[in-house]
Amino acid sequence: MIRKKQCIAMLLAGGQGSRLGVLTSHMAKPAVPFGGKYRIIDFPLSNCANSGIDTVGVLTQYQPLELNAYIGSGAPWDLDVSNGGVYVLPPYHTGKTGEWYRGTANAIYQNLAFIEQFNPDYVLILSGDHIYKMDYNAMLRHHIQKNADVTIAVRQVPWEEASRFGIMNTDEQGTITEFEEKPAHPKSNNASMGVYIFRWDKLRDYLTRDEQDPASSNDFGKNVIPAMLGDGCRMVAYSFNDYWKDVGTIASLWEANMDLLKTPLPIDLHDKKWRIYARNFGSEPQYIAPTASVSDTLATEGCVVYGKTQHAILSTDVIVEKDAQVIDSVIMPGAVIRAGAVVRRAIVAENAVVGYYANVGGAEGEIAVVGPGVRVPDHGAVLPGEQRAQ
Amino acid sequence: MSELLGLIYTGNTTDQLRELTATRAVAAVPICARYRVIDFILSSLVSSGARNVGVITQKNYHSLMDHLGSGKEWDLHGKRQGLVILPPFLTHDNVGVYKGLLDAIRSNLHFLRRSKERYVLVTDTGMLYTARFDDMLMQHIQTNADITLMYSDDHTMLRTGGNGCYLKVDGAGRVLDMELEPMLPNYENSYMQAFIIRRELLIELADRALSRAQYHFTRDVLTSGLRDGTLKIYGWRNPGCVWRLDSVLDYYNCSMALLKPEVQAELFSADRPIWTKVRDEMPTRYFATAQVKNSLLGDGCVIEGTVENSILSRGVRVQKGAVVRNAVIMQDGYIMSGAHVECCILDKQVIVREGSTLTAPATYPLVVAKDTIV
Repeated sequence: MIRKKQCIAMLLAGGQGSRLGVLTSHMAKPAVPFGGKYRIIDFPLSNCANSGIDTVGVLTQYQPLELNAYIGSGAPWDLDVSNGGVYVLPPYHTGKTGEWYRGTANAIYQNLAFIEQFNPDYVLILSGDHIYKMDYNAMLRHHIQKNADVTIAVRQVPWEEASRFGIMNTDEQGTITEFEEKPAHPKSNNASMGVYIFRWDKLRDYLTRDEQDPASSNDFGKNVIPAMLGDGCRMVAYSFNDYWKDVGTIASLWEANMDLLKTPLPIDLHDKKWRIYARNFGSEPQYIAPTASVSDTLATEGCVVYGKTQHAILSTDVIVEKDAQVIDSVIMPGAVIRAGAVVRRAIVAENAVVGYYANVGGAEGEIAVVGPGVRVPDHGAVLPGEQRAQ
Repeated sequence: MSELLGLIYTGNTTDQLRELTATRAVAAVPICARYRVIDFILSSLVSSGARNVGVITQKNYHSLMDHLGSGKEWDLHGKRQGLVILPPFLTHDNVGVYKGLLDAIRSNLHFLRRSKERYVLVTDTGMLYTARFDDMLMQHIQTNADITLMYSDDHTMLRTGGNGCYLKVDGAGRVLDMELEPMLPNYENSYMQAFIIRRELLIELADRALSRAQYHFTRDVLTSGLRDGTLKIYGWRNPGCVWRLDSVLDYYNCSMALLKPEVQAELFSADRPIWTKVRDEMPTRYFATAQVKNSLLGDGCVIEGTVENSILSRGVRVQKGAVVRNAVIMQDGYIMSGAHVECCILDKQVIVREGSTLTAPATYPLVVAKDTIV
C-alpha cells in the first residue's frame, strides 16, 4: 500500500536535445555530462532530494539507456526509499493504445495512473535542461500560501532575450494575468523557467481536457497554461533570481561549464547544505604529474594530467598526456588527449580520443565538438565550429 | 555463492602512529587523498567475490563505524549478505577487551557459526595492500592446506629489532619455518597478517587455544602447529605493493610511494576499483596562481598556492602564496596565505595560519593532530 504524498515531482527527461548535435546522438540531454563529475539531471534530482521531495517520476523516451543506467536505484540522491523513490517512466502500451509521448503535457497525461497511486495534493513539473540550485519546498510553501491552482517559477531575463521565452505578465500581487509564448514584443521580462507546481485535481482535469482536443499540441506552455488562464484559474508567479543556466546548445553548455571557473563561483557547489549529488564510479584521486601545468582548471577523480591545462574542465578519468594542451575547453569523462595534441575552445565528449599532435578547435570562432567515442587521428584536425561524429 | 567469508580485525593498536591513531583505529586512518586504510582490504574482498564481511572492532571504533555505515559503498548491504560490524561487548562469551586475535575470534564465534561460507579470510589492518583473495583461495584449495598465509617478498617489508614475522617457504609454497619478532630476520618473506582457513577449523583452533590460555594466533597456533606438524601450512605470495603502517615514518613513506604512477597503476586497476565513502564534493579548483606538481588530490580542494610532492585529501584549501611540499594534508585542511608546510602530516581540519612555517626532516615527519590551529 502506497502512502499518500503531499507533493511528488515529475521530471521531463525525454527530450532529444537536438541543438546539442553529436553530444546527444547516443543519449538524452539530461544524461549529458556537466562540470567534471555531474550530469545535467543531477541538478533537478539533487534539488528534489534537498527540498525533501522523495518521489520523482522521470519521463524518458529518447535514447534512454544511458539515463536509466545512470539513475539506477536512485541511491546517489538518497532516492532509494521504501515509500517513494525515483521511477523511470518510459512510454508504454496499454493494449488498445500505445504511443510515444507527443508533448510535455501528453507525457504527464500518459502517467496519470502513476501519479494517482500517490494521491498527492500537489505535483511539481520539472525539466532536465538547466543548471540551477532551487528550493522547491519554498516554492511549494508559496503555492500553498497563495492558495494557487498553479504556481510558475519565473525569472527576469535580459529584455533583448525575452522573446525567446514564455513571458508572464503579472499584477502587483504576483498573480499571472497574461501569458505569451515567445512574444515578438514582450510586455515584461519575467520568463517561465518551465518549473510548475499544480494542484493535483486541477492538473488531472486540464490534462484530460487537453487530451480530448485534437487541435492541441499537448504542451504545457502552448496549451495547458493558456487554457487554465482563459478559464480564470488562480495562477501565481514565484520569482527565482539565483543562478539558472540553460544548457540546450553547444555554446550555452560550454559557457555554463566555464562559469565554474569564475571567482566567486556564480553557483556554489561547495555548499554542504545543498550538495549536488552524482553517481560515483570509484575512481582514484586525481594525479598531477611533475611535467604538468594546471591553472584555472576544474578537475576531478580519476584525472591524470601530464600536460598543460588552462581555463579547462576535466571530467572523471580524463587523461591529458605530456606536452598536450587543453585551453578554454570541456573534456568529458574518460576522454584522452594524447601527447602533443592541442585542444582549444572545444568540447571533447565521453571516451573520445584526440590523437597525437592533433588539433581541435582554435583560439577563435565557434566551439568545436568531438563526439562521444570519436577518435581524432594523429596529426588530424577538427576545425572551430565543426562537430566530429563517429 | 561465494565460498569466502571476510573477517577483518581492527583491534591492533600502536602508539607509534602518534596523533593519527589517538582517536581512531589504524583501519580508519585516512590515506591516499580519499581513502581509509580499511578501504583497500574491503574492496579487495568484494572484488574477490566475498559477499559477507565481518569487521571486529575494539577501541575507538566510532570513526570506523561512521566510515563504513551500512556497507553500501562496497555493495555490502544486501538482505542475505553484507557487512557486519562486530563491536566489543561484555557477556559471558564476549570478554569485551580482547587480548589478541584469538580472543576476538572466540568472542565473535556466533558470527562464524551462523555464516555459511566454507572458508574465511582473516586479516589484520596494520598494512596497506590490495590482494586477489580469489587467487589465494584457489591455491588454498588446490594445495589442500589447513592454513594459507599471505606473504610478500618485498624487501622494504623487512624489519630488524624484533618486528614482524618471516616465513621460510619451499618451491611448492609449503611453509617450512617461521620466525616471530626476530632481532634480525633470516627469511625474506614477510607474513602479511592475513590467512585463509576453513571456517570450522578456525572455530576449533580458537576454542582449543583459548581453553589453554593461549591468545596469540601467530605464536600459539601457527608456530606450534608448524613445529609439531599438526597443521599443514602454506604461503601465498602477494605479488602486489604492500606497506607496513607501524609508525609515522612508515605511514609517510607509504604516502610518498603512492605518488609514483607505477604504484598507482598497480593499486587502482580499472576492473578492481577501491571503494570508499562518497562525500559528493565539487571537483577540485585550480586557480590561475596554482602551481601543482607530482601530487595526488581528492575532490573539493581549492588550490591557489604551490603544492609539490604531496597528498591532499578532499576539501583542502591552499591559499595564494602558501607552499605545501612533501606533505600529507588530510580532509578539510586549510593552509592560509604565505604559510609553508614541508614534510608534515596534517590530520583532518588543521588550519595553518598566515605566514606560519611547519617543516620537519623527511626522516622524522611532523604529525599535527586533528583540529589543531597552528
